[in-house]
Amino acid sequence: MLPVVDTLCPFVEDSFSRFPSQSNIYGLCQAGDQELLAATLKGKVVSFRYQDVQHKIRPVAKEVQFTYIPVDAEIVSIDAFNKCPPNRGLVVGITFIKDSGDKATPFLNIYCDYEPGSEFNLESIAQSCLNLELQFTPFQLYHTELQHGEGLKETVFLLSGHDQRIHLYKENASLHQFEEQPVERFFPELKDLPSNVLWLDVLSIDSGRRLTAYGCQNGCVGLALVDQKETEILQSWRLQQDSPVSTVLLFPLKLAHYDSNTSGVCVCVYLPCWCMGVCTILVVECRPVCLADSDQCDAVLCAILIDLDFDGQPEVLLGTYGQDLLCYKFQQSIGETEGQFQLLWRRSFRSPLLSIIYLDLTGDGLKELAVLTIKGLHILQHSLISTADLVLQRLANRVTNKGHNSSNVKWTDPRMCTSLNSLELM
Amino acid sequence: MRSLSFVQRVCLDFAGTLFPHAICLGDADNDSLNELVVGDTSGKLYIYKNDESKPWITRTCVGMLTCVGVGDICNKGKNLVVAVGAEGWLHLFDIAAAKAESSSQLEATFWDEQRPCFTQHIPANTKVMLISDIDGDGRSELVVGYTDRVVRAFRWEEPPDTTDLSGGQLVLLKKWLLEGQVDSLSVNPGPDGLPELMVSQPGCGYAILLCSWTQEGTAGHGEDSSAASAGEGPSRDVVLHLTTGRIHNKNVSTHLIGSISRGSKADDTKGGLFALCTLDGTLKLMDSSEQLLWSMQVDHQLFALQKLDVTGDGREEVVACAWDGQTYIIDHNRMVVRFQFDENVNAFCAGQYACKGGRNNPCLVYLSFNHKIYIYWQVELERMEPSSLQKVLEESAEYTALLCKLKIDPSDTGAVRNLIGDLLYRHSEGDQTL
Repeated sequence: MLPVVDTLCPFVEDSFSRFPSQSNIYGLCQAGDQELLAATLKGKVVSFRYQDVQHKIRPVAKEVQFTYIPVDAEIVSIDAFNKCPPNRGLVVGITFIKDSGDKATPFLNIYCDYEPGSEFNLESIAQSCLNLELQFTPFQLYHTELQHGEGLKETVFLLSGHDQRIHLYKENASLHQFEEQPVERFFPELKDLPSNVLWLDVLSIDSGRRLTAYGCQNGCVGLALVDQKETEILQSWRLQQDSPVSTVLLFPLKLAHYDSNTSGVCVCVYLPCWCMGVCTILVVECRPVCLADSDQCDAVLCAILIDLDFDGQPEVLLGTYGQDLLCYKFQQSIGETEGQFQLLWRRSFRSPLLSIIYLDLTGDGLKELAVLTIKGLHILQHSLISTADLVLQRLANRVTNKGHNSSNVKWTDPRMCTSLNSLELM
Repeated sequence: MRSLSFVQRVCLDFAGTLFPHAICLGDADNDSLNELVVGDTSGKLYIYKNDESKPWITRTCVGMLTCVGVGDICNKGKNLVVAVGAEGWLHLFDIAAAKAESSSQLEATFWDEQRPCFTQHIPANTKVMLISDIDGDGRSELVVGYTDRVVRAFRWEEPPDTTDLSGGQLVLLKKWLLEGQVDSLSVNPGPDGLPELMVSQPGCGYAILLCSWTQEGTAGHGEDSSAASAGEGPSRDVVLHLTTGRIHNKNVSTHLIGSISRGSKADDTKGGLFALCTLDGTLKLMDSSEQLLWSMQVDHQLFALQKLDVTGDGREEVVACAWDGQTYIIDHNRMVVRFQFDENVNAFCAGQYACKGGRNNPCLVYLSFNHKIYIYWQVELERMEPSSLQKVLEESAEYTALLCKLKIDPSDTGAVRNLIGDLLYRHSEGDQTL
């Protein structure tokens, strides 16, 4: 068992929605700013949001009838994104396997409404479907931004499969549909993969570069630094672990002992069983670090990086099959001791954790933590009383400082800004 | 409807079977911390303390225990544990004294201290029990409800010079005969502030039982009340009230709980609040002037009704539990929080229990059908209603003043949202650049 930690989880549960059937680690996504979509195994998709009725907010979980999902379908993964400006609209992708007895056929359905005015209306999006039959068993459905030269951006779907490949689906604007494109044209680092990819993560960093990380079924973790304009691999690493890698998470981390001009980027690798490594890379360095005591808990199935104590330093949250949510905080190195992640608190749930998202569901500027477990969806909220105190205190500081320095609220490092923006998109 | 999943629980071993009223929370050993008292059908009485899964104290009684209670039944300023069997044997246990003895003496007295400190036979077929002041004299009475629709009230009386319990006995004060089965007994302050003894009646009804011994001096009052109920009740001292509304089955089993705290002293003058629930899913909150505060209908078979202050604001919420584990916590404004206990429930109670950390916490206690008692000890909520940070901030005058200084309109949700997001998630980053 993990050591006993005194600090209590700062979150309180605000609502729990029980689902009719279980979900999986690819079953939760953010749709729009204040809404979540959760897919359950038996072909049902539930949308969750807070409804404002007469100045009171109510949690509402209701089923969305996505068309062209047969009754005998089992949903594998779900993902959604908002199109990059100047295009407008919400795109939802759902992969499922239709098992009609003799042969199981996998499909990818992409839902998107081009009718002006209803691009963000989930009900009408759910009725306009593009149905693609797949030649492989789908795993994670992921989306990321592509840079087209001069500031033009486009979001594409990346779907990993059991054929040791990752497939790219890109919108064909003139035909109003999505089609598969060769992935190596845009993502050379995703060519010739060592095994089936279970989890993929892409992070844009400074000066048009991006980091791509993936975790494989055979325990391989791949990491590549790519120049986005030239579509050229600048550097790549591979690490071999001894069990399947369930989650990979990329995030920026500032390390005190490095020159502050170098953007420290951290790669997290979570192994499903007993060990978890974190490798720090500073463009040239790749070094695994083990999180203290993380080998004491069950398989880590999901992870997220958020600043939950509002001190500007991110904390790592891990959700395990052992029904625990663990919070690690990076302690900067002091003197001889190296900087390391320390366990801050843990919170138990009634069933294994599958997926975590941190977003502002209530629309008040404060984000909530959505935790998908086998039994349903938990929404955890920061303690409102203590957060309100903090806001008042910072507001007072802001008012007093306003005269001296009006720019103190802006990000001064544009690189941190880009990396965090892309983090929010994940 | 808002629903939650409580996680923090302890699991206690309980091998027996029990009647639904043979479980209660109370301070059995007078240390100001509450214990859990459970009696089973073989006459064993178990007292659980803090998070120990094994009983802290076990006692043996005569007969099948149908109800247990903790209270100052003898009016000596000390709580005793009361256990009543179906056959009519009533046992009193002085747990605090036994604890003191066991620490000073050796095993020779072990069997001796297992014995109750007082036993008396009262009429058989007991079903429910209440220890409370029912006539407003400041002293506790014992009220027992029977399966044959009878309710009896007893008072402890003893010669003035006795030191232990052996000299005293419970004396019958009054017997009431009801029309329907009595599933709960409760006391609720009436419009005049004096306690009223209430019992539940089938079909979401209730009856007020008049304590005629207090009216011997003021006969006029008794005449008035009995005249009003003359046509309804079989007894002149039973005032039957049938609540209106959607009652499908007028024989449906009904539970009642009274004296639900309103949270402030000023409100208490308006009389007490009480709640009713039925097996077919009706829930009602009323006050002693028969005014309905709210009523609701649920799809679950409610079989237990309790009160518990889960928000810590002094106002007690109504807690109702169904056989299938669905639990409703409802406040005075009809805000509902649901919790699904994952098993079928044999017996349920809610109240203060000192499970962890040496202090009383609001707890939900479920007795399952697989020999386990589950105590959820972390059920405290910050608020009943879902809220957002903006709503909490708007309650503070300082906040509006500060927004004005920044020239932001508090009603402009988008701007406020950006500002709060900025303050929380980008603030310290900004500080570093200063």
